[in-house]
Amino acid sequence: MALPQFQAAPQFEEYVNATDLSAAVAALADGQGTPVAGGTDLWVQKELPGAVAGDRLVNIKNVPELKGIAAADGRIRIGALVTMTEILGDGRLKDAAPILAIAADRFASVQIRNAATIGGNVANASPAADMMPPLLCADAAVELAREEGGAISTREVTLSEFFTGPGRSVRESNELVAAVIVPIQPGRYAGFCKSGPRPALEIARVSMAITGEAAGGKLTNPRIAFGAVAPTPIRCTQTEALIDGKPLDDELIARALETMDGEISPIADHRASEWYRRHLARTYLEQELRHVRDG
Amino acid sequence: MDPIEKKEIVGSRVTKLDAPEKVAGRVRYVNDMTLPRMLYAKVLRTDRVHANILSIDTSKAKALPGVHAVITAADTPKFGIGVLKDNPPLKGDKVRCIRDEIAAVAADTEEICDAALRLIEVEYEDLPTVFETVDALAEGAPVIHEDRPDNIAMLHEFKAGDLEAGEAQAVHIFEDEYDVHYVTHCNMGASCCLADVDTDGRVTLYSQTQYPFIMKMDIAPSLGIHPGDLRIIQPPVGGAFGAKLDVYPNEPICVLLAMETRRPVKLLYSREEEFIVSPTRQPVEFKIRSGMTAEGKLTFRDVDSRLNNGGYTSWGATTPYVSMRTGTSHYKVDNVSYRARAVYTNNPFAGSFRGYGNVQATWALETHMDQMAEIVDQDPVAFRLLNSNEQGDVTPQGAKLNNIDLKGCITTAAEESDFLKKWQANLGQWDSPERFKRGIGIASSLHNAGGAKIHKSDGCGTMLKMDDYGRVTVITGASEIGQGIDTVIAQIMSEELGIPMRDVTLVMNDTATGPWDVGVHASRTTYIAGKSAQRAARKAREQILAAASRQSNVSPDELDLRGGHVVQMKDGEPVMPLDRLLRQMHFAGEDAELVMVSDYYEPPSEPEDENRYGDMSASYSHAAHVAEVVVDTMTGEVKVEQIWSAQDVGKVVNPVGLEGQIEGGIAVGIGYALSEELQLKDGIVQNPFFRDYHVMTAPEMPPIHMTWLETNDEEGPLGAKGAAELPTIVIAPAIGNAVYNATGVRFNHPPLTPEKIARGIWERKQQMRAAAE
Repeated sequence: MALPQFQAAPQFEEYVNATDLSAAVAALADGQGTPVAGGTDLWVQKELPGAVAGDRLVNIKNVPELKGIAAADGRIRIGALVTMTEILGDGRLKDAAPILAIAADRFASVQIRNAATIGGNVANASPAADMMPPLLCADAAVELAREEGGAISTREVTLSEFFTGPGRSVRESNELVAAVIVPIQPGRYAGFCKSGPRPALEIARVSMAITGEAAGGKLTNPRIAFGAVAPTPIRCTQTEALIDGKPLDDELIARALETMDGEISPIADHRASEWYRRHLARTYLEQELRHVRDG
Repeated sequence: MDPIEKKEIVGSRVTKLDAPEKVAGRVRYVNDMTLPRMLYAKVLRTDRVHANILSIDTSKAKALPGVHAVITAADTPKFGIGVLKDNPPLKGDKVRCIRDEIAAVAADTEEICDAALRLIEVEYEDLPTVFETVDALAEGAPVIHEDRPDNIAMLHEFKAGDLEAGEAQAVHIFEDEYDVHYVTHCNMGASCCLADVDTDGRVTLYSQTQYPFIMKMDIAPSLGIHPGDLRIIQPPVGGAFGAKLDVYPNEPICVLLAMETRRPVKLLYSREEEFIVSPTRQPVEFKIRSGMTAEGKLTFRDVDSRLNNGGYTSWGATTPYVSMRTGTSHYKVDNVSYRARAVYTNNPFAGSFRGYGNVQATWALETHMDQMAEIVDQDPVAFRLLNSNEQGDVTPQGAKLNNIDLKGCITTAAEESDFLKKWQANLGQWDSPERFKRGIGIASSLHNAGGAKIHKSDGCGTMLKMDDYGRVTVITGASEIGQGIDTVIAQIMSEELGIPMRDVTLVMNDTATGPWDVGVHASRTTYIAGKSAQRAARKAREQILAAASRQSNVSPDELDLRGGHVVQMKDGEPVMPLDRLLRQMHFAGEDAELVMVSDYYEPPSEPEDENRYGDMSASYSHAAHVAEVVVDTMTGEVKVEQIWSAQDVGKVVNPVGLEGQIEGGIAVGIGYALSEELQLKDGIVQNPFFRDYHVMTAPEMPPIHMTWLETNDEEGPLGAKGAAELPTIVIAPAIGNAVYNATGVRFNHPPLTPEKIARGIWERKQQMRAAAE
């Protein structure tokens, strides 16, 4: 019988304090580095095997290239070190992707929002990560950086292709999440629902984000994404296609709920039963679709 | 000099004495302490819940550099600890639950301790397991302790009146079951102790204990020493709430390692250990059957309960001493029967926890009372008032309810909250299409408010001296563990001796200096230690006024102590400064006297006899709570919007401290009702971290409207009663009853998690739909 409960925080043999991006990716190049920024997941790590790669702790908090929010080419680049508090307070982001600020406002507690970074929330690939459904709805992409031939090499992966399982993603062990990039899509409807017996410090049993162009009781070009109902955060693309631009009458809403129910695959664990996760997912989607319809 | 007016200190808002130090981060908790040459200790625990130990090999761990000692049961005295002494600090032959200690290491660093623990090899032979009380009571169940083949650790029984007659009188008989769950204290300061042994083998233990004097007796046999050779010092603690009311294995293990290494040893739990290893609140399965007349007057009550005792017996098994009092005596009912069986299983074991068995009993009884009221079509307030105890009642177990006001508590809480109007309006909305539904619920309870004589003594001693400058030093047996007795005693001194509170120095939390006290439990410290302090202060006052009378030729009855002066009682005219008088008394040649007095107060309570009869507390008290909630009938989430608390506190000593006790107690009670649960699966804790164990946080706390009923206890210090536990006891069923008022669905088993509520409401809808079709 394996007992996880007496494990201390992860132990490391070596520490690197990276002060620029090339130093950070160099420290990760052999795949034995574990990046740390806010530390709000890493220091209490119990369930996500992906977070701890190797024995070298790489502090990326002082890497200037990973900081700040900047607009360019119709997109907004959110540096991996940007905290939830910064997302919450950024005016451009509020216009470009309002769903992000709405969700960030429900993220953990003030103290954790001050420390937790968007890069960490993406990199840890928790199926229940609070910011993933909203980022999926914002058509986000992930910028990954690594060392190649002594230089920094980057690639971009859309968030919907990023996750591969609980705690797992397409990020290689020598890669660092450098930024999250979202297109500027102002004026879209944004809804976010998250369960929990408490408003603060809750690991979501189910979370849902929904965006789209809402008008005349219809939602056009919709995005519907859930957390904690599948091995990864997911988008319900069939449900999106079903409702795209159509009048949201009771019958369509009922069909949307059925379609969504077929797209999710929640588990039962000590936080919730499968029945409750499905019940919540239906409750949230119905509530939001009715809200779009009724204004 | 101008006349000095009498200043009322008792009853006025004063800041807790150590609050500024705590806020400034200057308080040094036991967790912060280090001593020269100190070693760190860690404990190897079992990974089985029921198994014979075949062998323990510590040789590799002992060989690890930096390790100073590795001990097992083979190296230590064979004495168990706990209420039934059934829990050896280190287990040698058998493990019975997931907490079980196999070996302990002392080393230079905590990291070396961890490495050493990984080198210890243990061979087991697994045994059949049992986790549910019904299974453990069944024929052929696995036996947890060989000397208790029926698995019953403790049996509590009481009968009064004639149950059959009560049944015969009853027009309505109602029976239901209520299972209450595992919760744990979640003290902010994790369990920690530090042991130091001198060259002569005498032990100093820096401990978080709540009962230092009895602890000496309880722990000494497991150490193989005389209790007199043990000194217990209690540095400031980060919370206790009952969790430190027994000896648990960490403390003897720490001392044994200090004896072995001849160096100071510190043992500190991780947060996960705190969740898994600390005692829990006692889980109980209740069955209540009761009857009433057509008018709703109770005619009998029969309570049967099973306590999941876990692998060993700590205070959890004794909680029926209190839950039985509620079960037999809350509301007037002459024909009563109460049975509680504490049943061994392979689960973790329970200890004491603020509210003791009364949190559990009140949940069951006050849910039951709401159900009974519905049967006779009465509102919850009228039904409770109809059956309320009154001033002067003697309960079936012999508690003399003097200076009480249960009806006052109930009517106050109901009136302040506009209960009846809201309750009636909410009933009509059960089947309405609205998603968010409002509910209001009420509950009340009875608790001891003047200590509880469960030991041979329930007393406390005080020693008091004054110096040449008018400063007083009070040496009290009472333990300050955050609850505020330091401030209460300083207030009493200030009131009785007419000096500022800052001129009072308290010496406490050390068995070498303090006189006997039972410990912090049973809402007793203000009542008993406060009373002893007051009596000592009055002796000092008498001595001072007698001397002042000799010097001033004014009768002592006409003198008073105010503002650091002896004054005329009638008009406050100063007679002489207090410090000058004290010096004159001191430097008086052959007539010299120091103000140096002592008092030992034993409250006029009596232990229960073998028939469970006795006036166990020197005072009793009631509280009633009303909770107003909003239920999201789709997600099942409950928001507690407002709480009204009406509590009989005897007399308010410090409003600030009382508010803190009530707010803190209610926070614990809301968590019990709605979100907190230590989840067990096959005896193993599933959620040993705050991420999945949900205590209330600040944003969830609703506004609390408090009313204090001052019944002026005749015995208590300045009329005060104990007040710390009722807030935790009463709120949970008020919330449960409010959820029922909102939804029409009754939940008997806390916590009322969103999933439980959503499921219950969904099932009710399915039933209604099926019935309609």
